[in-house]
Amino acid sequence: MPNYLSNSKPDFKPYTVDCGEIKAFSYKKTLKSELSSKKVGKQECIDMLEDMMMIREFEEMIIKLRSGAYPSCAGFDYRGPTHVSIGQEASAVGGCIGIAADDQITSTHRGHGDSIAKGCAAIRAMSTDELKKRVPKSKAKGRKDLLEAVLEDHIFKTCAELFGKEAGYCKGRGGGMHIADFSVGHLGANAIVGGGVPIATGAAMAARYKKEKTVTACFAGDGAYANGVVLESLNWAAMHQFTNHLAKGNKFGLPVIYLLINNHYGMTGRADDEVAGVGCLARRAVGFADNNMHAQVVNGMDVMAVRDAVQTAAEGCRKGKGPYLMEIDSYRYYGHSLSDPRNEYRMREEEANWKAVDPIDTFANKLIKNKVMSAARYESLKMQVEERNAVAAGRAAKSPDPEAIDVIKYMYTDGNSEEVPAKHQKVKIVKEEPVIERDAEGQLSYKDAIKEALLEEMKRDGRVMIYGEDVADYGGAFKVTKGLLEAFGRDRVFNSPISEAAICGTAVGAAMVGLRPVVELMYMDFALMASDQISNQAAKWHYMTGASVEVPVVYRAAVGGGKGYGGQHSQTLETMFAHMPGMIVAYPSTPYDAKGMLKTAIRDNNPVMFVESQMLYGFKGVVPEEEYTIPFGVADVKRAGTDVTLVTWGPAVHDALKAAEALQAEKVSVEVIDLRTIVPLDIDTVLDSVKKTGRCVVASQCISNASFTGEIASQVMEKVFDYLDAPVARIGALNGIAPQSHVLEAAFLPNANDIANVCKSLM
Amino acid sequence: MADAVILPKLGQTVEESTIVKWHKSEGDDVAKGDILFEIETDKAVLEVESFFEGKLLKVFAVDGDTLPVLSVVGYIGKDGEDVPDQPPAAVVPATPAPEVSEKKAAAPKVAVAPVASPVAKAAAPVVSAPVVAAPVRLKISPRAKKLAVSKCISPAGVTGTGPEGRIVVKDIVAYLDSYNYDDIKISPSAKKLAVNEEIDILTVKATGLGGRMVIEDVRRAVDEKPKTMTKMRKVISQRLTESFRDVPHFYVTVSVDMTDVLAFRQEVKSQGGEYSVTDFILEAVIMTLEEFKPVNSMTDGTTVTWSSSVDLGLAVGLDDGLVVPVISDSGNLSMQELHDTVKDLATRARSGKLMPDEMQGSTFTVSNMGMFGVDNFNAIINPGESAILAVASTIKTPVVKDDKVVVRDIMKLTLSVDHRIVDGTVGAMFVNAVKEKLEDIALWETLV
Repeated sequence: MPNYLSNSKPDFKPYTVDCGEIKAFSYKKTLKSELSSKKVGKQECIDMLEDMMMIREFEEMIIKLRSGAYPSCAGFDYRGPTHVSIGQEASAVGGCIGIAADDQITSTHRGHGDSIAKGCAAIRAMSTDELKKRVPKSKAKGRKDLLEAVLEDHIFKTCAELFGKEAGYCKGRGGGMHIADFSVGHLGANAIVGGGVPIATGAAMAARYKKEKTVTACFAGDGAYANGVVLESLNWAAMHQFTNHLAKGNKFGLPVIYLLINNHYGMTGRADDEVAGVGCLARRAVGFADNNMHAQVVNGMDVMAVRDAVQTAAEGCRKGKGPYLMEIDSYRYYGHSLSDPRNEYRMREEEANWKAVDPIDTFANKLIKNKVMSAARYESLKMQVEERNAVAAGRAAKSPDPEAIDVIKYMYTDGNSEEVPAKHQKVKIVKEEPVIERDAEGQLSYKDAIKEALLEEMKRDGRVMIYGEDVADYGGAFKVTKGLLEAFGRDRVFNSPISEAAICGTAVGAAMVGLRPVVELMYMDFALMASDQISNQAAKWHYMTGASVEVPVVYRAAVGGGKGYGGQHSQTLETMFAHMPGMIVAYPSTPYDAKGMLKTAIRDNNPVMFVESQMLYGFKGVVPEEEYTIPFGVADVKRAGTDVTLVTWGPAVHDALKAAEALQAEKVSVEVIDLRTIVPLDIDTVLDSVKKTGRCVVASQCISNASFTGEIASQVMEKVFDYLDAPVARIGALNGIAPQSHVLEAAFLPNANDIANVCKSLM
Repeated sequence: MADAVILPKLGQTVEESTIVKWHKSEGDDVAKGDILFEIETDKAVLEVESFFEGKLLKVFAVDGDTLPVLSVVGYIGKDGEDVPDQPPAAVVPATPAPEVSEKKAAAPKVAVAPVASPVAKAAAPVVSAPVVAAPVRLKISPRAKKLAVSKCISPAGVTGTGPEGRIVVKDIVAYLDSYNYDDIKISPSAKKLAVNEEIDILTVKATGLGGRMVIEDVRRAVDEKPKTMTKMRKVISQRLTESFRDVPHFYVTVSVDMTDVLAFRQEVKSQGGEYSVTDFILEAVIMTLEEFKPVNSMTDGTTVTWSSSVDLGLAVGLDDGLVVPVISDSGNLSMQELHDTVKDLATRARSGKLMPDEMQGSTFTVSNMGMFGVDNFNAIINPGESAILAVASTIKTPVVKDDKVVVRDIMKLTLSVDHRIVDGTVGAMFVNAVKEKLEDIALWETLV
């Protein structure tokens, strides 16, 4: 009995859709009233001002560095981006102060401000012991001095990251555009416009699932709100199933605040009157949620207004009323980068008008006027900020560069979930588990073997969750996940919208904060819809953060080749992901391997592209009932032989075995090796075999042009050339597009006969 | 800053040189003018002196290395100074390669044998090197090749049965079987030597007990193995082949009665005059060349170039090869000066110490085999000249003199002539003129 059956009736009675209202600039409180009502403390005000000043000082330093005019870094050649956010300090500080110190943010390529603000907010909230831990070598005594040391260290680590130094937050691997500090809930700046939005959404989804009160503030600019994955993410966050009857006991909207920082320019593309069709970008929210995501427009030059709006949103999020969307109306004084003179697309008068409401000047004046601080104190604060930055930057410039030998260190992690924390071991079975029956010989189909792996791993570890298109009630397009919703409930098995980028991107965010999502891409072809999220996000974050985060996500992608589904549903694309450093690429060929490898994939802390063959879903093989896993990077010699080594993976393994059988009759002895994973690649097993046989054929269903088969052929020739008795040959699909016609597709894909012929041609 | 030690370019054509022997080792102190190492070009072995003073900090080449000229082969500097671990790439010579042009073709000075300067080569008729068919590349799989090497056999005779006739491993196996390879008994040391020297053991005759192949068998095979010619031999081979193929030679022989001149030499010697027989012959030749323009000329087949000075080449045999030092402007030398020059050049030629410039530009060559007991011989003209004079041994011979048979010291001179510019008459007159001078004691009395 399914969980939920729709039962709608046609109803064409006329009515009017009420799109509600979006309030703009409704914050009217004065600083005096906020102080007197104790909504803000004097020290907090001074802290916010100082944080904004720190950001500006830092970014002005970048400008000076480029012309060699920053004395404490004299002689240091800064090489890297210069995306400064000067003018936007109130949105960064207001946004980070409005959420709690242990809440999370994601940021953008223009994210120095967000990163500094998040760090400062977290640091100021730390206990003395926590502060000490950040600067264990400091001799500072007393909270004031310790705080100063930690703030200086914060700027130092930020500078060092910008300068590509080993001491940076990400060990110089990420740089300013990918800076992250997971210890303070900074989940990463993102150099792909909009790339961080699904990550924030996924992190919020994880908080909802784990029933934590963590809120994620997602900084993204006006430019991002024209990007597909951002719009997919808004839809995702607002899905009814998180809050309606389907959510049963966990009716809780995603605790995410989308901070749409409208600085009016993408790179140079104008949000006003040019690249958008709405006057107010907050209207984006109207399209995704009946409550308009509580959208409002906030004065982004007023730190108190931003703080107030974000505080309100964070409170709402903690009550399950998320998601929230705030358009923060702000302004970028400089161009996209220092190479952008701005005069091609905007007027100097415009800049002057915005500078007249500068967030630092106006707030400082308010503080002086309200006697929160004296003018003299402001001057000394300026000096303090400048000096702190100079010391930190000078130290960073002189700090050691990473060792060249470590250039690809941190690409992969050895981490795994062999030890499941006790709290995640308790897994609730909502209803009944699916029954997976073996035949008399103890065989399971490839499909059921995968299902059994999912079932076992979900029972073993409460952090494993499954989502994707139609995976819940319907059990997936190929019925692989059928019964798992019934077993684990909709919190752990749910249908996603048809948003491949959001499927893959939210999984990255959820994985970053501790879940182990297994998401399904119905057809591998659809992975291309999500290529940024797989290749730039999932694959890269471990490295780009200098190994300070792991992304344990599994992308299950089914290859449709052989079914007559044509060019967009039939591609064998594992080669593409093998070319993306940071990914593991697995492609099992048997039910036994499918189960053991999927279990390994789920437990591995690296992102895994787990490729499945739809043609093999019904293929049966013996699968033990007892627990087992199959390590990655260990090839399986399927058949021993002495004349030719036939290297293969995926469904081609079966054609290879048939070819070997046929060739045996012709007295040609073929050794068939199933690689099982192409990343990591067990080249040693291949080389040892080739040393023995002297001949090598590489077969897969990828088209041969630029295929991974070429990588193997190349390595064989490089490493065991002297053992070759013939050139290495390879065979794949023809260098074309998969046709629909089954006659053509039969000609397109390599079969056992083709493989046998290639082997024979070497004899 | 350390100074680079450069492999010198000793002559325009020299593109690479072999370091024969280092006289200094890394760490040695070097004074300006100290001999650093000896190099062998295609012409000679030369000593290279240091331009710098200091410590030899780095040496990049070992004895026997052949390197492009102008390569950096080491560094001299202060003790402890940093020098590169790797030599920089060889400096590209600033001067462009000489072009063959009409002007060059008219250059008056021409080559000496056996090696010619590039100018001389350009001046000489452009004869392309014989087109030697590139050896047919053996089509063999890497695995089969490896097996052949490990079995100490040459795969050249193996028939390939793989795709496109490639020799594959089973062909080697079949080939070995056909020779009953497994029955070959070979001592381990013999096998080791065969591997190192790439001897095909199927071609080696086994002489050990019970048909065992022993190290002596392999050593014999090593000795019989074709050896690459030395650079000098290659040049001799190339130049003389070119001459003998392209220059129409003819030969004119005369018998010279040396009895009187030998007696005259003894007489001078007893008075303290140190002249060799060669000195007399050379002097006679020099004087005769001044009389016979065509013989002191050369041709490229279309033009004839005469040289106003007689730059006489003297072939000097070495252990393996020969060189031809040149007595420049020999017509202006006195007998004594001639003697001293010949002695110096011959001595330095035998010790390989001639400078390249001392071996080019001759206009005529004398090849003297008098000391080897030969009746007569024909020499091959050095490219860039029109004739060469072969001097045989002086032999006591019964001859008719004044209608009486008497015993005289007879020496045969054979002139090899380029028939393109020198005809029989001139050739005959030339050798007879030399003969007359040698037999004319009155002449020698005025010269010595």
